[in-house]
Amino acid sequence: MGRTAPTYRQALEERMKRWDAFARLLPTPEERAAFELLRTGARRYVAQATYVGSPDLLESIVLSVLTDLAVRLRADGNARPTSR
Amino acid sequence: MSPAADGLAPDGWLLEITESGDGRSVVLWTKERRSGRVHRAAVPYRPPFLVAGARADLADLARRLTGRADVASTEPVVRRPSPFDRRARTMLAVTPAHHRLRRRLAGTIDALGGYERFALFDVDLAVPQLYHLHHGLYPFAPVVARDGGLVATEPVATIDYAPPPLVVARLEVRLTGMRPGGLPPPDGRIGSVRLGGVTLEGPEDDLLRALAGELARSDPDLLLTDGGDAFDLPWLYRRARAVGLAPEEFVLGREPAPFGPSRPARSFASYGRVLHRDATFPLPGRFHVDRENSFLFDDAAVAGLVDAARLARLSLQTVVRQSPGTCFTAMEMAEALASGVHVPWKKNRPETFRRGDHLVRSDRGGVIFLPPVGVHDRIDEFDFANLYPHLMVRRNLSAETLDCRCCPASPLRAPGLGYRSCERTVGLIPRTLGPLLARRLAYKARLRRPGLAPDVRASLEHRVRMLKWILVTAFGYQGYRNARFGRIECHEAINAYARELLATLVAEAERAGYRTVHGIVDSLWLRPSPPDGTVDPEGFARAMSERLDVPLGYEGRYRWIVFLPAVTHGLGVPNRYYGLYASGAFKLRGIGGRRHDTPGVLRRLEAEVLELFRRADGAAGVRALLPRALARTDLVAARLREGGWPLEELVIAHRIGQPPGAFVTFTDSLAAVRQLAEAGVARGAGETVRYVLLDRASRSFRHRVRPAELLRGDERYDPGAYLELLAREAETLLAPFGVERAALLARWGAPARAERDPYRSPERTEQRPLPANF
Repeated sequence: MGRTAPTYRQALEERMKRWDAFARLLPTPEERAAFELLRTGARRYVAQATYVGSPDLLESIVLSVLTDLAVRLRADGNARPTSR
Repeated sequence: MSPAADGLAPDGWLLEITESGDGRSVVLWTKERRSGRVHRAAVPYRPPFLVAGARADLADLARRLTGRADVASTEPVVRRPSPFDRRARTMLAVTPAHHRLRRRLAGTIDALGGYERFALFDVDLAVPQLYHLHHGLYPFAPVVARDGGLVATEPVATIDYAPPPLVVARLEVRLTGMRPGGLPPPDGRIGSVRLGGVTLEGPEDDLLRALAGELARSDPDLLLTDGGDAFDLPWLYRRARAVGLAPEEFVLGREPAPFGPSRPARSFASYGRVLHRDATFPLPGRFHVDRENSFLFDDAAVAGLVDAARLARLSLQTVVRQSPGTCFTAMEMAEALASGVHVPWKKNRPETFRRGDHLVRSDRGGVIFLPPVGVHDRIDEFDFANLYPHLMVRRNLSAETLDCRCCPASPLRAPGLGYRSCERTVGLIPRTLGPLLARRLAYKARLRRPGLAPDVRASLEHRVRMLKWILVTAFGYQGYRNARFGRIECHEAINAYARELLATLVAEAERAGYRTVHGIVDSLWLRPSPPDGTVDPEGFARAMSERLDVPLGYEGRYRWIVFLPAVTHGLGVPNRYYGLYASGAFKLRGIGGRRHDTPGVLRRLEAEVLELFRRADGAAGVRALLPRALARTDLVAARLREGGWPLEELVIAHRIGQPPGAFVTFTDSLAAVRQLAEAGVARGAGETVRYVLLDRASRSFRHRVRPAELLRGDERYDPGAYLELLAREAETLLAPFGVERAALLARWGAPARAERDPYRSPERTEQRPLPANF
């Protein structure tokens, strides 16, 4: 496992490295912190993304990030996620 | 010579079968029930191996083999070669002239066929293993002598059996002038030998002769050593040779054997780690068990190993030195031969070609959630016991049963992948595993009986643990490319079924009043929802076991459990947590005390913190104890900084992953390796070096560390380096409460080494801040 085709976890971490460059050029701390929120969201739902097994990496990342943001939105205007 | 007599015990046990030096027979070692005497009997036995191929090629091969010195005979036979073959076919049975020539002759035949015309079977089964299988015998079988051979009086599957009473003696060699834990001097002499309750001393050659005499007199069945393969036996043989003793005069087994290992030391890679295995020194007719060269001994003890040896038809000396996977493979082979098929020598079944998207879909592991970092209470844990083996048995998952030609409409299909399982024939893997699962359950049922004698209980527990290891490895062997009966699709199907099962369980748990907190492959951590809601964990486990047809066990309720974060991104790490069950038992995963390389001082800190937290009966209680845990940490830090901490608690163990010549950077372990090399001791890849840090900033290998073997006791260690380690350990345990390494070091007045990356994920700020009195 993970030799011929990378696992979702491996592919995600690889993509996260690519996102580093994006983060570096964000000018304000607020923007960088907001961007970290996206990364955390992407990482939070690895189990679910693996379970889907989509060949489209970005689809899985987008789903994870959006789910994480939606959970935060629902939590009464408080930016904290509800714990599971 | 030992008192072993020739002939078979009329009524007793078979201990083991060894190859005879003449290459055409095997030696049966039996123990007489009444007298306890051990008998030796050589019986002629030369098993053939089989060659399959086109009729004309086989006829040609038979002609070419006629008259060769390494061939005793050839004979056409009609057999079913492998589990994949439905029908029997004509094969050539080739009997080598000598046991030792078996593999070489097979290689010659393979070459004669251009490595493609012939398929060979039963080549690399050991001759004693084949003798067991052809004669319905197994190690430690109760036997009676009949018609010049042995007959087992009960089947191998017997659960309540009485193993032979083995006479066990500890063997320990001491060299003159070598202090405990130190290095052996290159010109060492043997100063004393302890055998059982007897200590032998005196001039070396008298002492060695006395040892041989004492062995013959007390005649133990099993020699137990700590490091015998690496130290005691090589030194005994080396010195015996030096004082001029011949193998016939210095017998450690029950018959003379050459003064050397049966297998040299080697380094190998397994699961991404480089490991080292010492040379092995088994003894003929007498079991040599080296606890340090055995992965299994600590868990399985003699009772578990005896059980595995019986089922695998391997000698106890082989089982003790091999991995549980070797036992499982041997059991598969036994099952194959018993059902009339043979064991392929080289697996010649390449993976079928697949599209990339299919690979992405199929090549996946189990479900692994990310746990919520922090301390939680009211958590119930559930585990599927032996999930993978159960799936293999219940869903008939085996290389030859997947996508069989006979059941195109089989309803047993791997979820999401569609691989079908055969409905008509039970596969080799399920046939091998089924009895093992049943056996483990039977032992566990006996363990629940009241009033069990302590020794019976211990022996059952060891057997259960041994079987667990074998069952665990059975799954991995489906995906290993060289596994004899493995097939990658089988591995994928097991994972697919397991994912489906956990997904179902999550949904069912919600219906039963739970919320899922965490889950890893075959385990689930659940919290009642609402938190004070009533749940029936036992009932839930029972209902699910029935519904999913795989036993789900209730492991217990946690008073509290702490899920730990990754240092890099602050999200939970699936397999790093510690918690206290309501029963008062801890469960620890991925923290220092579980790892072999953790220095004693860190283990001590961890143990103290855990002992402290033991008083808490909920999450709030743990949080309230945090200031006291930090105070303990400060105390350790203060004593460490003073420089008076005992050196033996500061020893760091590190397994080196490459041969010393291959290091490109100067590391602590390289410094230790070079000092050891100066003292005349070579350490190879996969071996462990143990050392104390003296000055981590030093570029001199002599000043940077001191290997444990060379410690004099007056060394001054590097307090800064150990404070750093202490801070890291405290952070690991207490990070969910906001404890950070840099803050600790600053508080202790120790310089913090620059961090790689000041990156902090939002998750970290969500963790609880330190209490005000920090």
